[in-house]
Amino acid sequence: MTNNAVKNASKKKRRIASLDRRKARAGWIFVLPFLIGFIVVYFPIIFDSIKLTFYHVSSKPGGGMDLEWVGWDNYRQALFVNPDFVQTLISGIGKLAFDIPAIVIFSLFMAILLNQKMAGRAVFRAIFFVPVIIATGVMATLESNNILSAYMDSTSGINDGSGQSASAQIVSVLDFENLFDSMKVGKELVTMVVDIINNIYDIVNRSGVQMLIFLAGLQSISPAIYESCQIEGASAWETFWKITFPMISPMILVNAVYTIIDSFTAESNTVMRFIEQVTNTAHGGVISSAMAWMYFLLVILIVVAVAGIFSAYVFYQRRD
Amino acid sequence: MDAQNAVKQPKIKKETKNKIRVDFERTPLKERLKAKFGTTFFYQKLVVVIFRLVLLIGISYVILFPFISKIASSFMGMNDFVDPTVRLIAKDFSLDIYKAVFTELGYWEAFANTLEVSIICAILQTFTCCLVAYGFAKFKFRGNKLLFMLVMLTMIVPHPTMRLAMLQNFKDFDVLGIMDLLAKINILPDGFRYGIKLTETFWPLYILSAGAIAFKNGLYIFMLRQFFRGVPDELEESAYVDGSGVFRTFFTIIIPLSVPMMITVFLFAFSWQWTDNFYTELLLPTGRMTLFNDIISDIPLSLRTDYAGQGLFYQAIHNTAGMMVIAPLIIMYLFCQRYLVQGIERSGIVG
Repeated sequence: MTNNAVKNASKKKRRIASLDRRKARAGWIFVLPFLIGFIVVYFPIIFDSIKLTFYHVSSKPGGGMDLEWVGWDNYRQALFVNPDFVQTLISGIGKLAFDIPAIVIFSLFMAILLNQKMAGRAVFRAIFFVPVIIATGVMATLESNNILSAYMDSTSGINDGSGQSASAQIVSVLDFENLFDSMKVGKELVTMVVDIINNIYDIVNRSGVQMLIFLAGLQSISPAIYESCQIEGASAWETFWKITFPMISPMILVNAVYTIIDSFTAESNTVMRFIEQVTNTAHGGVISSAMAWMYFLLVILIVVAVAGIFSAYVFYQRRD
Repeated sequence: MDAQNAVKQPKIKKETKNKIRVDFERTPLKERLKAKFGTTFFYQKLVVVIFRLVLLIGISYVILFPFISKIASSFMGMNDFVDPTVRLIAKDFSLDIYKAVFTELGYWEAFANTLEVSIICAILQTFTCCLVAYGFAKFKFRGNKLLFMLVMLTMIVPHPTMRLAMLQNFKDFDVLGIMDLLAKINILPDGFRYGIKLTETFWPLYILSAGAIAFKNGLYIFMLRQFFRGVPDELEESAYVDGSGVFRTFFTIIIPLSVPMMITVFLFAFSWQWTDNFYTELLLPTGRMTLFNDIISDIPLSLRTDYAGQGLFYQAIHNTAGMMVIAPLIIMYLFCQRYLVQGIERSGIVG
C-alpha cells in the first residue's frame, strides 16, 4: 500500500519534471534560430574581428589578405601613437553625458504630452514618429552633410557657395549669456542649455523609439490610481511626482540604456565618425577595429554603471 | 450660491385647474458665461492648452521642415540656387531633377532590388524574432538569462567593429569549417573548398535576418518579449489542456493575438532595411546592382554643371533622390502608423 503510494508519488513527480523538461526543450527550439545564427555567423565574425586587431593586414596582389601577428601593437598605436583618438573619445563621452539626459527627459515630456487627450492627437503622434521610420541610414548620412538646409535656414540670403551661415542657430550663446550673467548661473550650464536648444532637431530625431517606449509605459499605468489621486485632491504636479514618475521609472532605466547604446553606436557620433575615418587610412582597418573594441568596452562599462545606479532607484509595482 | 437656490426652488404658479407654470429664475447669460469662462481654472486650462499646442506644432515643424525644404528645392531649376530672393518657392520651376533621377539613375531597378531585399528581410526578421522572443518570454530553461544577455550584446556591439571580419566571413562563408571539411573528403564538390562566396548577393542579409542577428534585432526581440509576457499564461494553459501542442498553440493562438505588434516590428525592420547603408555598402559594392544608396550619391549626367550654384544644386539633387527613396516608406507609414502606436501601447512594456 505504502509502496504503491510512493510509487505513485514518484511517478507523478517524474511526470511533472518531464513536462517541465518538455517545456524547456520547446523553449530551446523557439530560441534555436538565434542560437544557430549566433554560433554559426555572429560568433565567428566577432571572434575574427577581435583576432584581426592583433594582426597587421595587407591585401595580397592576387587577392586575399596577408596576416602578420603583431600582438598589442594596434592597440598601442591607437592609444599612444594616434594623436586624436583619446581626445576624441573623451570629448565624445563628455558630449553624450549632456545629450543622454536631454533625450530621456525630452522623450518623457513629449510622451506625457502625446498621452493627453486633445484635438489632433493622432496627427501629432503620426508626425512625431516619422523620424523613427525615416531618419536612419541613408537619410541620416544625407542629413549629416546637407549644406542646402543650412542655406535655406539662413536669413542672410547671400550665397557664398559654401552655404554656411552663422544665423542657422536658433539662439546664440551671447543672448543667453547676457540674460543669465546677472543671475550668476554657471557659464557651462548656460552653454549646455543653448547647445541643447540648438540641437533640438537632432534630439527630436533621436528620441522617437524612447517616446514610443514611454508612451507604452504610460498606457500601462492603471487609470484607477489617477482617479483616486484626483479624489484625494492631489494637484497635477504632485500626481506626476508621486504616481507617474515612480510608475514610469522602469521605462526610464530601459530608455537610458537604449539611448546610451543608440547614441554611442550611431553613425553621427563623433567617435564613430573618427573611427570611420581611420578605417580609410593605411593600415587603418585593424587599428580602427582595435579602437572600436576599446570603445565598445567603454560603452559596456558605462551601460553597466548607469544601469546599476538607476536600478537602485527604480520602483517596481510588483516583483515577480 | 443664489443662482443655485433659485434653480432648486422654482416658482410654481397654478394657471388653470390642470395646468401649472413653472418659472425658473434663470441666471442671466452674462453671469453664466462669467461662471464658465471667468474662473482661474478656465484660464489655467486655456494657458496649458495653448502652450501645449504651440509646443507640439513647433516641434512638428522642426520634424517636418527638412522634408518641406527638400521637396521645395526639388522643384527648383538651376537658376534658383543663385537667386538670393528664392527661399522655398521655386521661381524657375522645373521637373528636371525628377526626370533625371527616374531615367538616368535607374530608380525603378533600385526600387525593385530594395523592395525585394527589404520585404524578405523584414518577413524573416519578424518571424524569427517572434519565435525567439516567445521562447524567452514563456519558457524557463537553463541558460535563458545568459542567452538573453547575448541577444542584448548583439545590439550593443557597434557595427563598424565587425566591418572587416564580416566582409571576410561572407566572402568565404563556411559553417564552422564544415563545408571545407566535407569538400576535403570529397562529399561536396571542390567549389565548396574554403566556403562559398556570398558577398555581392543578398544572402548575407537573409542569413543575418534568419538568425535574428541583423540590424537592431535585439530591440525587436526585447519589444516582442515584453509583449508576450503580457499575454496571460492561462490562455496557453487552456490550449495545452485541450491537447494542443506548443507550436500549434503558438501559431494558432499567439500569432493572431500579436498582429499589431508584429506589424510594428515589420514596419521597423522594413524601413530600417530600406534605408540601410551599412550592410548594403559593405556587402554589395557599387556597380553590381543598383540600390538606393547609389542613387543618393550619384549625379545624373544631364544635370552635371559647372556654374556658381553647383554645390547647392548638387545637394538639391541628392535631397530629391533621398525624398524619392523614402516616398514609398512615407506612403506605407501613413497606412501603418495606426498599428505602430497601437502595437506599442498593447505591449504594456513593463521593466
